[in-house]
Amino acid sequence: MSFSLRLIPLLPFAGATVLLLFGRAFSRQWVHLIACLAIGTAFLVSADAFFTALPAAHESGGLHDIVWAWFASGDLKVDLAFRMDALSGVMCLIITFIGTLIHIYSAGYMSHEKDYARFFAYLNLFCGAMLILVLGDSLPVMFVGWEGVGLCSYLLIGFWYGQTANANAGKKAFITNRIGDFGFLLGMFLLFSATNTLDMPGINAAAKAGAAGLTEISWMGQPVAFWAALFLFVGAAGKSAQIPLYVWLPDAMAGPTPVSALIHAATMVTAGVYMVARLGALYLLSPAAMAIVALVGAATAIFAAIIGFAQNDFKKVLAYSTVSQLGFMFAGVGTGAFGSGVFHLYTHAFFKAGLFLCAGSVMHAMSGSGDITKMGGLGRKIPWTHRVFFVCWLAICGVPIFSGFFSKDAIVAGAFATHVFGESLSWVGPVVGTVLLLAALCTSFYMSRLYFLVFSGECRADHETQHHIHESPIEMVGPLVVLAVGAGLGGLIGFPGGLFGHEEWNLLGHWLEPVVGPELHIPHAVEVTVMAASTAVAFVGIFLARAFFGGGYREPAHQFARSMPGFVALVRDKFRVDELYNFFIVRPLRFVSRGLFVIVDRIVIDKAMVEVPAAIVGVFGRAARWFQAGDAQRYLATFAIGVAAIFYLATRPPAPDAFKVTIQGTAVDVDARGVAGTAGRTLLYDFDFEADGTVDRKGSSPTAHFVYEGTGTYVIRVTIKDPRWGTSTRLEQKVRIQ
Amino acid sequence: MHQLHTQTVGLPATITFAILAGLTVIGALFTITRRNPVVAVISLVGTFFALAGVYASLSAHFLAILQILVYAGAIMVLFIFVVMILNRDEITRVAARGMVRRGLGVVAAGYVVWLLASVVANSSATPLLGGPLSEPGADFGTVASVGASLFTDFMFPFEAVSLLLLVAVVGGLVVSRSEKQEDDAEETARRRAQVATEIRPESMVGGPTDATANHEAAHH
Amino acid sequence: MPTLYYLYLSFALFFIGTAGVLLRRNALIVLMAIELQLNAGNLALLAFSRSLGDLKGHVFAFFVIALAAAEAAVGLAILVGMYRTRQTINLDEVATMKR
Repeated sequence: MSFSLRLIPLLPFAGATVLLLFGRAFSRQWVHLIACLAIGTAFLVSADAFFTALPAAHESGGLHDIVWAWFASGDLKVDLAFRMDALSGVMCLIITFIGTLIHIYSAGYMSHEKDYARFFAYLNLFCGAMLILVLGDSLPVMFVGWEGVGLCSYLLIGFWYGQTANANAGKKAFITNRIGDFGFLLGMFLLFSATNTLDMPGINAAAKAGAAGLTEISWMGQPVAFWAALFLFVGAAGKSAQIPLYVWLPDAMAGPTPVSALIHAATMVTAGVYMVARLGALYLLSPAAMAIVALVGAATAIFAAIIGFAQNDFKKVLAYSTVSQLGFMFAGVGTGAFGSGVFHLYTHAFFKAGLFLCAGSVMHAMSGSGDITKMGGLGRKIPWTHRVFFVCWLAICGVPIFSGFFSKDAIVAGAFATHVFGESLSWVGPVVGTVLLLAALCTSFYMSRLYFLVFSGECRADHETQHHIHESPIEMVGPLVVLAVGAGLGGLIGFPGGLFGHEEWNLLGHWLEPVVGPELHIPHAVEVTVMAASTAVAFVGIFLARAFFGGGYREPAHQFARSMPGFVALVRDKFRVDELYNFFIVRPLRFVSRGLFVIVDRIVIDKAMVEVPAAIVGVFGRAARWFQAGDAQRYLATFAIGVAAIFYLATRPPAPDAFKVTIQGTAVDVDARGVAGTAGRTLLYDFDFEADGTVDRKGSSPTAHFVYEGTGTYVIRVTIKDPRWGTSTRLEQKVRIQ
Repeated sequence: MHQLHTQTVGLPATITFAILAGLTVIGALFTITRRNPVVAVISLVGTFFALAGVYASLSAHFLAILQILVYAGAIMVLFIFVVMILNRDEITRVAARGMVRRGLGVVAAGYVVWLLASVVANSSATPLLGGPLSEPGADFGTVASVGASLFTDFMFPFEAVSLLLLVAVVGGLVVSRSEKQEDDAEETARRRAQVATEIRPESMVGGPTDATANHEAAHH
Repeated sequence: MPTLYYLYLSFALFFIGTAGVLLRRNALIVLMAIELQLNAGNLALLAFSRSLGDLKGHVFAFFVIALAAAEAAVGLAILVGMYRTRQTINLDEVATMKR
């Protein structure tokens, strides 16, 4: 089944191109109109493909669009091809729909910005790259999108590049991602050597068939599939901000808030989750890799959630929350519940985008400040933002009926019920489930803290700021409301109908089934228990937070801070992971780099390879300068010398290098015939057999006969003369007469 | 046959040739050794006159006249003009730098000339070099005979040479007058020349007088 | 007179001309030395022409004189231009193509 899938990424790319080239010439209205139209149309095309064309194509592996053969080398043949199946279709819809909302929101949020066109161009560029990432049919095409979103992320984090901190944050994100990308590439190479293909359906098919290349033991007792999966997970951990590569994401909040919402919450950071789900069959081949994914996800979930307790910047709280929620997703896909992972990805996209946009709206109201210690009581002043935040807050806390409840519940229940780890690793599932429940409690607590500190009680900001607090314009509030509706009711799309004997109520699971396999079967008892538990932790978290922070900082909060000052400081400093990395990675690297700079660059390259050859050439150059003085007369003198040399060589009689001497007793025969050039020339030969100055034989004959009087060593001297030119050549040879 | 002509060379002819050749060489040496360009030009004119005499002794009457008209007349006047425009007395006679290479160049040129001369000397017995192969006809070297040859066999080269002269005229104009920068420099040079003329006009009168004196000295 | 004496004279003139071209720094003198070289050539042409009784040598000599005129005209024009732009006609001071 074919469908012009290429249109979907092409539209945002076209928008980006137009805006980058001509954006400066357009008015602001035109700029955001073009950008929103580009992404909005992409959404409509995606929706058309997903809802009308895709259902008919489930059997054949989804919609397929080959644009052109990209490259072929030996066995490696890669097409620039796109594929939309249920998984990439859902991703496409999320990206284009939320992307459109955020574009609209940005029109309001960035309205005072100088580089308006540049912002929208990057935003469009990002959407195009992200769509290539999800639609790419093979790993190389996906990698193009993967790098493209990394680039856009870098560009947008450093959008306000005037401030060094922002530029540095961009660099940090980029470099951290490079580490992950290296893993991605290694995984890709490994997969190609094992399966001889880079098409993802081909890889999945090989994995499902248990191809020998993937299952053979390669290193440390693990099969190739494990290493491939692990390397790819390193890439995913970089892109999706998992331990240990999560450090860039909180810093990425330096970018404009819509960017944080779109790239660093809803879409790009979920690429890793998407990739693992996409190559689910490969991961299922290696329980150990799955366990690592699940454990890293769970660890990240709780670790980031704890850091979230003590952050005082609105966006930083949300950033750690994002890291934590991404951990949930990885735990989901790591326990084999790919559908649940993607489900959480989807609900998270809505409520986290909503939260970020609320953050933007709040900061907009607070004159740009994101310090929650200076907020409070904003609920009355910005009612629409408050309402939206309220809904999204309940969603992320996992309050029943709201979207986060269903997706989080599906992941936790999946962790308890999973069988993918086999006998030896069966402990992983329950451990992950328990940790996730704890993380959910933490999530509920820190999000509630955020909510109470910002919206309840009295405002702690200074008078001037308070005076300016105002609700945001309609183009910002509109998308917020839409996102709130999605965050509130979007979970119903993955309603756990199995509980009521109606599996088909789980619409999302039904869609994804052809791609990621049937939903995990979860026993009713587990399902009900987990639901009860997660509802409980949600409310416990909220009430605990209310006790600490309801209506502002309360006594228990201060008491807690006083009782454990060291721990609180450690959490506030994000467990000092950045400092740790700085000490163990950045500083040694700098040391080595400095050494390389001084030894290799300064000495080996600059001196030995550049300056020394230059000096040698310079010596010749100075010598040649004497010759090329620019003085025409001296050139002419050289010319005259050359002419004389040619005359000398041409007029000299041609002579053999050595003449022939034949000795018989005391008699010698000498033959001094020239080798060449004697034709037409009359030459005279003088033979002096004793080299004593007296010519013994002379004439035009080149040969001569002579008899020595006694034995001994003699020198025969032959002088060849050209009578016309008056020139001559003299040859000498030693002979021994016995 | 050719022996006949060699033997008919009488003493007067030999003396005439010796004098003319001597004047030519002395004039040439003066040309390249004098400091004052005006002296050099006059010496050259003397050389050309002597050469015209040599040409005449070779029965090249037309060329002898041409030598005097074109060389001693037109070209040398041009040189004199330039000398007057520039009005520069040379301070150092020879170039200051690169004397080693220049000297070697002169030695090399001498070697080549010596080689050629030795060929001539070694071949002095041949009819071509030993003497004229034939007695020239009455019209040999006259304007009529050379002109006939020019306008019949060498018609095309003759036209080509006329074109060459035209190009040279245009080229001379272009080279001596081009950009504004040059015009400015021209202005400066003219003002300088003006000043110089006003200060010492006598140097221009003195030059030719000296040269004439040298010329006279060489003659006797 | 035998032809060879004319040739000796021609060689002598040519050598003197060459020496002048190589050694003198005044461009004007150098141009005159070039004229000497050309005349040396002319003399050889005329000597051989006389010896062979062939007028072609005269024709060539005629062309050489025309060429010498053209050369002198252009050469002197260059010399004047050179003096304008550099205020010198010393060849060893004119060592660069640009001004």
